[in-house]
Amino acid sequence: MIEMVGAKAIGSVDNVGRFARFVWQSMTASLKSLGRRQTYPLIWTQMLVIGVRSVPVVMITGAFVGMILGVQAYDQLRGMGLEERLGVLINISVVKELGPVLAAVMLAGRVGGALTAELGTMNVTEQIDAVRSMGTNPVLYLVAPRFLACLLLTPFLIIYADLMGILGGFFVSVIVKGINSQPYWSFSAAGVELWDVSIGIIKGFFFGGAIAVISCYKGFTCKEGAHGVGQACTEAFVASFISILALDFALAVIFKAIYNTFWSLKGLV
Amino acid sequence: MVKEDENNQAPETSSNGLLVVKNLTKRFGTNVVLDNVSLTIEKGKTTIVIGPSGCGKTVLIKHLLVLLRPNSGEVYFKNRRIDNLGENELNRLRTHYGFLFQGGALFDSLSVFENIIFPIKQHCEITSWGQVEELVKAKLAMVGLDGFQNYYPAQLSGGQRKRVALARAIALSPEVILYDEPTTGLDPVRGDVISELIMKLQRELGVTTVVVTHDMTSAYKIADRIIMLHNGKIIADGDAEHIRNYPHPVVQQFINGQVSEDDLAVLRMSGTISQAQFLPRDFEQ
Repeated sequence: MIEMVGAKAIGSVDNVGRFARFVWQSMTASLKSLGRRQTYPLIWTQMLVIGVRSVPVVMITGAFVGMILGVQAYDQLRGMGLEERLGVLINISVVKELGPVLAAVMLAGRVGGALTAELGTMNVTEQIDAVRSMGTNPVLYLVAPRFLACLLLTPFLIIYADLMGILGGFFVSVIVKGINSQPYWSFSAAGVELWDVSIGIIKGFFFGGAIAVISCYKGFTCKEGAHGVGQACTEAFVASFISILALDFALAVIFKAIYNTFWSLKGLV
Repeated sequence: MVKEDENNQAPETSSNGLLVVKNLTKRFGTNVVLDNVSLTIEKGKTTIVIGPSGCGKTVLIKHLLVLLRPNSGEVYFKNRRIDNLGENELNRLRTHYGFLFQGGALFDSLSVFENIIFPIKQHCEITSWGQVEELVKAKLAMVGLDGFQNYYPAQLSGGQRKRVALARAIALSPEVILYDEPTTGLDPVRGDVISELIMKLQRELGVTTVVVTHDMTSAYKIADRIIMLHNGKIIADGDAEHIRNYPHPVVQQFINGQVSEDDLAVLRMSGTISQAQFLPRDFEQ
């Protein structure tokens, strides 16, 4: 029993070490690939696959988030006679939390799953070994373009999700529920600061990086066979999802501290 | 510093070998796959490694270009120790090798042309695409597949995939070509085409060839030397004639494709086919 627990503990520490090493290799390879012209076409390709082709699903996600918030919050605010402030509630929730988190979760499913399945299949069919056998670093060739594409484009996708969330909220609140649009927008503008929009977008860098590195790692370490690839995809999504939530919590705490310390001083500048 | 250089020199006894493996042991968990294996691969010769499935042939060949690292022992290439090199140095070294994987390991998302220029793009500054196209044409012509440049791996048969993989393996004109089960999964005629191709490349390019196989027809045809692995150890080593007449029972069973008495005993003990068959009526209430 003690032996089993010990073996599990050693295995877990070993896995954490391997993952940390992989993260480091991915980051250094990504920096290196920025200086290599022959990597640029690979980065463009991944940007198309990961970024451009995710725009529709991310926009749909954002729109529904805004519309659902409108439907759910309208009755409560109307009961207090505050329905004109519905815009603040919807827009601040969308740009600060729900837009970035749900867009990232959608990306973890769409992009993360595809990355793990692609690299996992390459792994079990020895294509990653083939890259190494030809004297090429597989992290530089396979991971760096995907990492950079996720890192750079997730914030842009979050902007799309935010925009559609705002429009979705407007559609339900003003068009469907008949709230006066002038106070709807003026309360929103007063309640949502540049800071709120910025932190939502900054979170995108962290979420995108986490999705890429977790999905690539799971693909690189997946076990043999169709079952192994399927299991790796599931593990990649679960790990990415939990990482998004954990990062969101950590970033919320950090940004709150920064806001309390510095943002309140902006009036003095 | 001097000491480190000394450590990186091949043992004197094997100075004739292009590739030297010394006391190599490889374990996966508690399973010892290679047990203290020592081997010298001579330059310009074709060495065949035979042995039953799971005996460590592929693991051995992967150590020759350090795709796997040994638990103990050393690997030398041109008298230089390579098993302890960093990945960057190994990447430079690997351009001297070509490796044909068992399934070809062609990149699915790339065309035949893109697969073949992959190593060229990674290691050479391409100044003229016309030259590259000529080179790809020449490499494909060597394996009899000129004209297939725009095909994708999924559109090719098993034999064609292996030939394209071979064209990719020789793209950088390597000094050593390693083949992992090149004829497995092919019909006898296609298998013979691959054997002929291995001989042709060895003749025309003067490369050192190491082939892992359990296809004895191919082994006898192309071998300068045959090594047999069993339970992680080398149990026979010599030319084709030597192996044919080698008295070790495991070698004779393997090369003649005969089942051992022990295996037969297990089959006899495991019951008859009719005992192992179930019909739908057996499950009726």
